[in-house]
Amino acid sequence: MRTPARAALSGLAVLSLASLALTACTPSGGTAASGGGSCTPKDNITVGYIPKLGDDPYMTTVRDGAQKAATELGGTNKVVYTSPSEATGSAQIPFVQQLISQKVDVIAISGSDLNGAAAELKKAQAQAIKVITFDSDVAPDARSLFINQAKTDELGTGMLDSMSNLLGGTGEFAILSSTQTAVNQNAWIADIKKRLGSEAKFSGMKLVDVVYGEEKADVSANRAKELVTTHPNLKGIIVPAGISLPAAATALDEIGALGKVKLTGLAPASLIKKQIQTGNVQDIWWNVTDLGYLSFYAAKAAASCTVTGKAGEKFDAGKLGSYTVGDEKTVILGPAKIVTTANVNEFAF
Amino acid sequence: MSTTTTTGWPHRLQSRMLSWEGLLGAFAIALIVTAAITTPGFSDGYNLGSSVARMAAKALMVLPLVFLIIAREIDISVASTAGLAGIAFGLTVQSGGSTLAAVAVALAVGLACGALNGFFAAVLGLPSLVVTLGTLALFRGLCYVLVGGTPISNMPPEIISLGNDSILGTYIPAAIVPFLLLAPVFYIVLHKTPFGRRVFAIGGNPGTASYSGIRKSRIVFQLFVTSGLVAALAGIIHVGITSSAAPDGAIGYELDVVTVVFLGGVSFLGGKGKMTGVFWALVVVIAIRSMLQLQNFGAYGQAAVVGLVLIVSLLMANIVNRTSAMLASRRTRAQKLGNPAPEPAAIVLPTK
Repeated sequence: MRTPARAALSGLAVLSLASLALTACTPSGGTAASGGGSCTPKDNITVGYIPKLGDDPYMTTVRDGAQKAATELGGTNKVVYTSPSEATGSAQIPFVQQLISQKVDVIAISGSDLNGAAAELKKAQAQAIKVITFDSDVAPDARSLFINQAKTDELGTGMLDSMSNLLGGTGEFAILSSTQTAVNQNAWIADIKKRLGSEAKFSGMKLVDVVYGEEKADVSANRAKELVTTHPNLKGIIVPAGISLPAAATALDEIGALGKVKLTGLAPASLIKKQIQTGNVQDIWWNVTDLGYLSFYAAKAAASCTVTGKAGEKFDAGKLGSYTVGDEKTVILGPAKIVTTANVNEFAF
Repeated sequence: MSTTTTTGWPHRLQSRMLSWEGLLGAFAIALIVTAAITTPGFSDGYNLGSSVARMAAKALMVLPLVFLIIAREIDISVASTAGLAGIAFGLTVQSGGSTLAAVAVALAVGLACGALNGFFAAVLGLPSLVVTLGTLALFRGLCYVLVGGTPISNMPPEIISLGNDSILGTYIPAAIVPFLLLAPVFYIVLHKTPFGRRVFAIGGNPGTASYSGIRKSRIVFQLFVTSGLVAALAGIIHVGITSSAAPDGAIGYELDVVTVVFLGGVSFLGGKGKMTGVFWALVVVIAIRSMLQLQNFGAYGQAAVVGLVLIVSLLMANIVNRTSAMLASRRTRAQKLGNPAPEPAAIVLPTK
């Protein structure tokens, strides 16, 4: 009788059945590993990488660096690289869950935002999986180490040194920044102004203008050209913005001003390799392959229980040498490098 | 007494097996068994739980959509409504409102979104596919206008628990509980009440329905409002899962939601569909996504597969329904000689 009703009930039973299947198992990691106190050292490890976007060339370069370290270490050391397609913390959650289910030893994530995936990362930690971040951090209580590419405040210093080097210590220069409200850029500009006023080696240099490229390539190109025409004695421009530096370099090259006006700033070295090779452009950048390489060694150190995130702990990073954990559970890849004709080929990204 | 009861149980079993729900159920079980054998980590309790949790917000939005599609309407703005409700929730919390107030505001926003869709689609009679495509963009756009690109964090702990915790001692995610509570209600309303029968009647033959005194626009309006409300609830759960109210919260979820409804055998022509089939479809999509995730498929790859499932389900449901209708009509013809068999597309009012 009333078959549809029964068919339907069996349908509902499907759901409750699935629920029952879930109830049958008792969670293992949840309670056991609540504290990070106990740590079982692991030798050969699998590290799951979660980039912001799977197909971002910056991130695939990190992956290649990590792979290099894994190959070098031999054994069954392994990299699993996942591919979120949206740069949001919530889009990273399924990938965290995937890596937990696959029981990787370490999750290395570049956080798309601070909190989106943090709750899930804490679950990973509760299952005795080590969590480290690279490139971009998440909420600090959800990871044991942050592998930072460079100290943010050192980048401003590097850019002024590079400009001084290009100009031979004398001449007018300008700054083409990103937006008026950009926090990092404004800190660097303030630092540049301070050092110009206080350090004798910059006494021949004069900052004549600060303009903004608004994070847009076309705006940046126009601002660069305007700077050249409004300041006839201009010798250089510092461009601390990844989109603006390649745009400015191309624009000045086109109007034949590159050379009379020299450029330095912050951008992926590979994007301005051609202009760097002319000797008229320098760049402050870091070796992205090395960032991946270092992250794998850091994962290794965390998994072997030798590094827990305390300041002063040391670990070996293969060809990069020894690294020390700094404040706030952070490891810095190293001072950013000044990219010139001489070393531009070392930079894969 | 329904006609099916006049035949013996072997026949009933056969017809059930041949129905779309039966095939889908068999497929779902086969899929889970295959996945458990071939995919390491699939049958792990944590994986099952988190796979279900990932579907929690989408599963909720499926429920009202079943009604809408049976009534020959559609709401593809559900994910944007969820996003906007999430933002409303986040903004209320940020401005010092209590969690309860935030839930109320979010639900009110969902209700308003649904009412807007309902006004255009039911009152003005505009095609709901186009209306909700418009509001899909409108509601999502509003999310960005309200908060810019940055997610609102510091969400209340009880909401984060709802999104991330499991029911004590099990792997059942708390996030799926609202669905488990609402699913039987939607089932009963659709298959056991006059309201449900009216929804089927509207979809089966709107003309006949209105001649028999069914107030179509009123019912359709109510369905859109329900869709908005439930989407808002889904939005709150999504805020819990991601611990933040993001302007792109639940973005793109309509793909899975619509796929589940059609895969579940609800006819795109309206008038036909069973909740049972839809529940099985949910199981299938959860299993497929979980399997792909563990095979390290990227998000684009997964979306492509789900899109393919949508197309195939439309094709298959069509073929299977025609075949079983043909078989049924042959049987009927054999039983009642001389009487014309019912057309496959005829209204199928649920038998008592």
